[in-house]
Amino acid sequence: MSTERIRNFCIIAHIDHGKSTLADRLLEKTNTITSREFRNQMLDDMDLERERGITIKASAVALKLVCDGKEYNLNLIDTPGHVDFSYEVSRSLGACEGVLLLVDASQGVEAQTVANAYLAMEHNLAVIPVISKIDLPQSRPYEVLAEMEKTLGIDTEDALMVSSKTGKGIDEIFDAVIKRIPPPKGNPNAPLKSLIFDSVYDEYRGVIVYLRIFDGTVKVGDEIYMMKTNRSFKVEEVGIFKPKMVAKDYLSAGEVGYCIANIKSIRDVKVGDTVTHYKERTAEPLPGYRPPMPMVYCGIYPTNNTDFHPLREALERLSLNDSSFTFEPETSQALGFGFRCGFLGLLHMEIVQERLERESNINIVQTAPNVTYEILKINKEVIKVDNPEKVPPVNEIEEFREPMVRASFILPAEYVGVIMQLAEARRGKYKSTEYLSEKRAILIYELPLAEIIFDFFDKMKSATRGYGTLDYDFIGYEAADLVKLDILVSGKQVDALSTIAHRQDADIKGRKLVKKLKNEISRHLFEVVLQAAIGSRIIARETIRPIAKNVTAKCYGGDITRKRKLLEKQKEGKKRMKSIGNVEIPQKAFLSVLSTDE
Amino acid sequence: MKFKKDLPPNALYVHIPFCARKCNYCDFNSVVSGTKTIDLYLSALESELSALKGQYVFKTVFIGGGTPSVLTETQLEKLLCAVIRCISVSEVQEYTVEANPGTLTANKIRLLKEYGVNRISLGVQSFQDRQLKFLGRIHSGDDARKNFILLRQAGFENINIDLMFGCPDQSLDDWENDLETAVELNPEHISAYALTYEEGTLLTKNLNNGVISKLDECIELDMYKTVIDYLTHNGYNHYEISNFAKPGCECSHNLVYWNNMGYVGAGAGAVSSIDGARTSNENDIIRYVNGIGEGKNIKSFGEHLPDDQFASETVIMSLRLRQGISNADFYKRFGYKIEDQFGDQINRLIGDGLICYDNERLKLTEKGLFIADTVMTEFV
Ligand SMILES: Nc1nc2c(ncn2[C@@H]2O[C@H](COP(=O)(O)OP(=O)(O)OP(=O)(O)O)[C@@H](O)[C@H]2O)c(=O)[nH]1
Ligand code: SF4
Ligand SMILES: [Mg+2]
Repeated sequence: MSTERIRNFCIIAHIDHGKSTLADRLLEKTNTITSREFRNQMLDDMDLERERGITIKASAVALKLVCDGKEYNLNLIDTPGHVDFSYEVSRSLGACEGVLLLVDASQGVEAQTVANAYLAMEHNLAVIPVISKIDLPQSRPYEVLAEMEKTLGIDTEDALMVSSKTGKGIDEIFDAVIKRIPPPKGNPNAPLKSLIFDSVYDEYRGVIVYLRIFDGTVKVGDEIYMMKTNRSFKVEEVGIFKPKMVAKDYLSAGEVGYCIANIKSIRDVKVGDTVTHYKERTAEPLPGYRPPMPMVYCGIYPTNNTDFHPLREALERLSLNDSSFTFEPETSQALGFGFRCGFLGLLHMEIVQERLERESNINIVQTAPNVTYEILKINKEVIKVDNPEKVPPVNEIEEFREPMVRASFILPAEYVGVIMQLAEARRGKYKSTEYLSEKRAILIYELPLAEIIFDFFDKMKSATRGYGTLDYDFIGYEAADLVKLDILVSGKQVDALSTIAHRQDADIKGRKLVKKLKNEISRHLFEVVLQAAIGSRIIARETIRPIAKNVTAKCYGGDITRKRKLLEKQKEGKKRMKSIGNVEIPQKAFLSVLSTDE
Repeated sequence: MKFKKDLPPNALYVHIPFCARKCNYCDFNSVVSGTKTIDLYLSALESELSALKGQYVFKTVFIGGGTPSVLTETQLEKLLCAVIRCISVSEVQEYTVEANPGTLTANKIRLLKEYGVNRISLGVQSFQDRQLKFLGRIHSGDDARKNFILLRQAGFENINIDLMFGCPDQSLDDWENDLETAVELNPEHISAYALTYEEGTLLTKNLNNGVISKLDECIELDMYKTVIDYLTHNGYNHYEISNFAKPGCECSHNLVYWNNMGYVGAGAGAVSSIDGARTSNENDIIRYVNGIGEGKNIKSFGEHLPDDQFASETVIMSLRLRQGISNADFYKRFGYKIEDQFGDQINRLIGDGLICYDNERLKLTEKGLFIADTVMTEFV
């Protein structure tokens, strides 16, 4: 098939601007799914996505469309909008020639609108501006167009206006996709050159790789070769997403689909790798993907020590489907054998942890998250510290450095003041303000990553009634007066509870932390003492009184079921605990550092 | 499970969900209702009971509530009639009715006696008016004392007194006074319950709003230790977490629950456990009455536990008994040893000094008794 009749595009936008709902309409209009199969946000097929109402994974789907009497094959990729999943966006962009850039007609341009639009421009993709949700009474499409021109410098003359609710403007989308997004280049007769843009592990069929074919053709029986991992496989099935996998005879240049080749070892597949034919290879591999830099790290440990190996397997399987988190084995005195994992943000961390538990049935505990620090030692050696436990003794440190980011806030102008206050309180350095219009502003600050990654986002949202948005980029390390804050439980330092804090905040933080821990750790049969310390200096102390009496006074015939359920619930709670010494510490306690509130 | 099948239920519980007024701490299935509703209820109950006739041989009967004694004399008679028609009087060894001071009259007491009731459980809670007021009881300490004496005079030789400790401003002295008064009256049985704050009660609301605060746990523990010491010294056998009896006067009906044996419940919200299946009647009085009237299924809940869970529940319930659970009985009932299912937990708990073996019976130690719930979670 000639590539002339193919269009590959993504839908990108800030979170909640209506990408998945627009995808629903495109699926319906092209009869890709029957109305019986249909459900809202059809492409959000993961339970977690449906529970949270957000897209976490990019999903590809093939649509058939007749336009001007010609049949076209469209490949649409719906992407997530949350900043923590931006790697999903950049990978999807690598498989496309154009994007629909959605902007909510009442929310206007927000932080990830700008970030994702720039990503698309860097990939040299055709950008079709689309104003979404125009049915809403508070929509202001023309102001939003002006904001787009001002922030992105794009021509909005041909912008489209749609409502996925009323269906208005949907047909024009198809038209624009066909006329304004170029067909993929590529030669179906050249040696196979294809990109693994995603993959998933299937218990029965092994690793399923998601491919964008740039050159050549791949069909059942072909011997394929992965250029980075140096492995070859025999193709068992190829096909496309409708959105369920549907087998085809072959995939050729320009197409997006999947390939199953009895790949049993997860390590044989690298997202971003180039797949070619074993015999007739393409000369140059594709550039692939630059793995994103984790912003936040935490330890992940099995609650049950014997689950270490199953946990490793679960992490490997999950990393196939989410190549943006990293994991390295580590040991903790308190928690035993586990992994230090890196994530793009806290939501990402939460999602990975949930998926791990759901997809593997292993109970895990997760330690306090932290960012990566850089330390210049007296001996001039520079080390990277992604775990507070690795901070060397104070007398070996010449300079303690923390990661800095350039943060851009896009928000209604009336909130500029409160956000400035918030940023200053977090040791931010003011850079600039720019007005998109009378009503909207972009505020730029340089901030320590550690100050914005934990509870900042929620604070910003509540200070701006939900209208403030934030995007940030790592800019480098900067010296700061930092100390390691340790927590002692009954006199024993618990490495998994250590954090790094700025000296000026350390005392307050230590006091708040032990207070919170006191609430999180339930009473034991003996007294539990909690202390916060900087080096050998104890800065805070709380004690948890032992249980004196814990006995249900009345239990007769009608109470038996209730009593059993109560005990079952208590027992369930214990599953997520880790015993340290003889103190049971619940998962939530390890996350106490996340919020600095009382 | 042979044991359960071999023994059909021989305990009957009848629920009267009415009270003169709702106590501040109470989350039982009971309401304040007019005579008309009570009459309707009694008729429904009568038909539920009549369907039981001849199905079981009851050795114990317990009419509880609520406040059965809140019924008028006519209503009480109707109830007692309905019950006596579905039991075989000569088989019944223990027939208890719950009563509250302030609702008993000489005539009601006479009726109870006439219809074969041989045990009264009197909801005294405290002999001190300050405590009674806090709890929202309708009677005074004096009412309780007088009612007790009336019961004795009418010839009741097996009387239980319910007492409660752990009110926010109750002192250890207050509690000792209550115990002394109770012992002077010389009942055959005393239940001493720690006050608990149940969801939806006035007390819990006050607690959450900071109007009252809980009694210090250590004082509550002292009170608990005191009742055990005091009653044991005065000839009562501490046979269950909250229950004390003169030798031979343990409550046979309640022992059925603690041994996790079968029982039949009648009335709104009443629970039955028959052949390992537990069901519960509709709680709501109107729905219960209408359900019975229309011949519909009045069960609102049912469960049939798998054997291992049933065994776990049996261990938990039996540990409430101070004599614990006999390994031999357990084996007879379930076909394996307790250790086969709970070996690890038992070793750990014995190591911590919370449970022990005594004459082939697994039981809570004194240390374990005070934190029985913590111990019991291990057997879930
Ligand atoms: N009124 C109206 N509501 C819309 C429209 N499109 C989407 N929505 C609503 O906006 C909310 C977010 O829609 P989604 O499609 O999930 O947004 P998204 O961009 O995919 O969100 P993420 O994937 O999490 O970034 C949902 O409640 C939709 O029902 C529209 O055209 N009109
Ligand atoms: S008398 Fe008993 S059942 Fe009735 S309200 Fe008081 S405590 Fe509850
Ligand atoms: Mg979405």
